[in-house]
Amino acid sequence: MPTPNVINGIPLWWYLLVASGLFAIGLYGVLARKNAIAMLMGVELMLNSVNLNLLAFWRYLNPTSAAGMAFAAFVFVVAAAEAAVGLALIISVYRTLHSIDPEKLDQLKL
Amino acid sequence: MGITVQQVIFVCLAAIVLGAALFVVTTRNLFRGALMLALAFLGVAGFYVLLDLGLFAVAQVMIYIGAISILIIFSVMLTCGMQAMIPRNAQAGGVAILAALLFVLLALVFGPVRLTLDLTGVPLLSTLFRTETPRVVGDVPWRYNTQAVAETYISDFGRALVDINQFLLPFLLIAFLVDVVLAGAILIARQRKPAEVLAEQQEIAAEEAAEAAALRTAEGAPAMPSTAAATVADH
Amino acid sequence: MDVISNLLKIISDFVAELIRSIFGFSPFLAELITMGLAAVVLATFAALSFMGLTYVERKVVARIQDRIGPNQAGPFGLLQPIADGIKMFTKEDTTPAAADRWVYNLAPLVIAVFALTTYAVLPFAPGVVGTNLNVGVFFILAIGSGSIIAILMAGWGSNNKYALLGAFRTVAQLVGYEVPMLLNLLPVVMLTGSMSLIDIVNHQTTLDGNPGIPHIIYLPLSALVFLISGVAETGRSPFDLLEAESEIVAGFHTEYSGMKFALFFLGEYVNALAVSFVFATLFLGGYAGPILPPYIWLLLKAALVFFVLMWLRGTLPRVRIDQMHNLNWKFLVPMSIVNLVLVMLALKLFPASAAAQAASGGVLVSPGAQAVILMLINLAVLLVSLSLVGRAARRLRMQEEALLAQRRAANMAMARA
Repeated sequence: MPTPNVINGIPLWWYLLVASGLFAIGLYGVLARKNAIAMLMGVELMLNSVNLNLLAFWRYLNPTSAAGMAFAAFVFVVAAAEAAVGLALIISVYRTLHSIDPEKLDQLKL
Repeated sequence: MGITVQQVIFVCLAAIVLGAALFVVTTRNLFRGALMLALAFLGVAGFYVLLDLGLFAVAQVMIYIGAISILIIFSVMLTCGMQAMIPRNAQAGGVAILAALLFVLLALVFGPVRLTLDLTGVPLLSTLFRTETPRVVGDVPWRYNTQAVAETYISDFGRALVDINQFLLPFLLIAFLVDVVLAGAILIARQRKPAEVLAEQQEIAAEEAAEAAALRTAEGAPAMPSTAAATVADH
Repeated sequence: MDVISNLLKIISDFVAELIRSIFGFSPFLAELITMGLAAVVLATFAALSFMGLTYVERKVVARIQDRIGPNQAGPFGLLQPIADGIKMFTKEDTTPAAADRWVYNLAPLVIAVFALTTYAVLPFAPGVVGTNLNVGVFFILAIGSGSIIAILMAGWGSNNKYALLGAFRTVAQLVGYEVPMLLNLLPVVMLTGSMSLIDIVNHQTTLDGNPGIPHIIYLPLSALVFLISGVAETGRSPFDLLEAESEIVAGFHTEYSGMKFALFFLGEYVNALAVSFVFATLFLGGYAGPILPPYIWLLLKAALVFFVLMWLRGTLPRVRIDQMHNLNWKFLVPMSIVNLVLVMLALKLFPASAAAQAASGGVLVSPGAQAVILMLINLAVLLVSLSLVGRAARRLRMQEEALLAQRRAANMAMARA
C-alpha cells in the first residue's frame, strides 16, 4: 500500500507498535506483581509508552502545532508527580505495616 | 530503497527498550529492575531524538533518569524490597494472556495489516452490523503531514504555554498540581516525633475501648469494670 | 595567522578529505569516521588533561599550604601523574565478597562515560564543536543528573553499609545542588534567547550586532551561585564530605581499588574541568578574545576557573552536611528564585533590541545600559540576602549569648548559696 507517512525510512506504525508493546509489558508489570514498587515501575513504563505514542503522532501528523508537545509535557509532569506521591505513600505504609505487598492492604485503616 | 541509518538505530533502540522493559517486569531483584528501568528510559529518550525532539529527549533523561529512577531506587532500598521474592502473584498467567491480547489488538489497529471482515454471508452478524461493504481493521487513513519540525519549535512551545488562547490554563493547573504534590509528599512521608506517635496510639486505643464498651452494653452483658472503660473514655 | 586560528577546522577537513580519497567512501561515511576520530581525540584530551590536572592541583594546593608538593618523580615532579598511573594500574583489582558483580563493575564505567559526554557540546572554536545541539545547556544539566544513578550503583554494589550511606549522602547533595544550578542558568538563557552554547558564546562577542559584553558583567550573582553549585556538584572541597577520609572512610568508592578507582578519580576531575569549561563558555565569553587563537582563549579561561576551584580547595574548611543543605535550600534557592524573577522583569521592561521591544513592549535601552541594570539588580539581591542572613545570624548569636549569661548567673548564684 502507499506509505506517505515515512520519515527517514521509518513509517509511523513502527513507533506505534513499540509503544503498544511497551504498554502491554507495563500492564503486565502492574497487574502481575506482588510488590507495590514493582507495580509503580510498570505504571512508569505505561506512561512512557503513552508519551512515545503522543509524540510520534505529533511528529507525523501535525509537527507545526504545539498541542502534541504540550500534552506530552503535561504527561511528563504528572508522571513525576505521581511517582513522588506514590513512593511517599509506599514508604509511609512500610513504616506501619513492614510490608509492601499490596494484597495486605485491604483495610481502610492500617 | 535501501536500509537507512535511522532504521537500524530504530531497531536497536526498540530491542533495548523492550528487552529492558521485559527484564523489569519479570525480575525478582528489584534493584536491577530499577536500573533496567533507567535503561528503558534512556532508550525512549533515543526515540525522541529520532523524532527530531531534542528538547523532550533531554527532558526525559533529566526527569525520568535523573529524578524518578533515583526515587524508585531510594524507596527500594528504604523498604527492604531487595529480598528476593516471588515475582509473580496468583493472577500472573491470566494477565500475561490479557496483555498479549491487548498488544495484538493494538497492533491490528495501528499496524499496516488490513484485515477485511467480510460479513455479507454470515446470517446473524450481517443483519446486526447491517453492512454491505467489508469492514477493514488496520491501516487507518491518518492525515499525514510529514513536513519538518519548525526550527523554533522550542520557543513556539514556550509561547503556547503562556498564551491565554492556547495552553495557559493547563499549564497553571499543572503548576498547582506540582505545588500540591510537593507539600503532600513531604506531609505523608515525614518522620513523626515520638510524642506524636504516642498520642496517636492513645487516641486509637481510646476509640477502640469506647467501641468495645458500647458493643457490650448493647448486648446487655453484665457491666464490665466500667471504671476502667470510663477512665479510658474520659481521655 | 589565519591558519593558527582555524587550526582545528583545517585539520578536521584535511582528515576527512584524506579518508575519502584513500578509502573511497561516500562523503557521509567519511564524515562519520571523522566524527568518530574527533570523539576519540576529545576523550583523549580530557584524559590527558586529567593527568596534568592532578599534578597541577597537588602543586597549587601545596603552595597554598606553604609546602612544595610532589617533586621527587622527575624534574619538578612532572612525572608524578605517570607514577600515579602506574600505581593504579598495578594495584590488585578486588571485588567484595557478596557484591553484585555487574552493578559493581559497571558503576565506574558509567560515571566516566557521563563525565566525558559533557565535552560533546562545548564549542572550542567557531565551527569546532562536537555537536551544536539547540538545547546544549539543558543537555549538560541532564548529563549531570544522569550520572547520579552510577553513584547509587557504586554504593549498592559494594555491599558495604558505609558505601551505601555515602552514596545516599552524595545523591542528596548532588540532587539538591542541581536546583540552584538550573535556576541560575535560566537568566543566561533568557538573556541570550537560546539554549545553544554557540549562540551563548556569540552573544558575548561582537558578531551579528551582539554586544560584546561577557555575561559575568550582566549577571554576577548568577555566575557566583553557578560556580558554588558547580563545586558542590563535583564533590570538591569545601563540599567534599562525601569522600572525606576522616568521616565516612571514602564514601561510595570505599570498596574500589586499582583501575576502577582510577576511573572514579578520572570522573571527578573530568567533571571539575567540564564545570570550568561550561562556566567559561556561559559567563566568561568562551572562545572569544582579541589576539590569540580561540581555543587558546577557551583554555586560558577554563584554566582560570579551575585555578579558582583549586584555590577554594586549599583555603576553605570542609562544610558539614547539614550546613551544606541549609546553605542550599534556605539561602541559595530563595535568592536564585528572587534573582530570576527580577531579571525576567528587567529583561521585559528594558529590552535591548528592537525585535524584543516589538514583541513585548518596554523601554528600549542600549545593551550596555541593560548590562548595568541587570548587574545592579544582581548585586542588590546579593546584598539584601547577605544582610538578611547576617541579621538573622546576629539575632541568633545574641540569643545564645543571653542564654549563656543567664546560665552563668544561675551557676554563680548556686555556687554562692
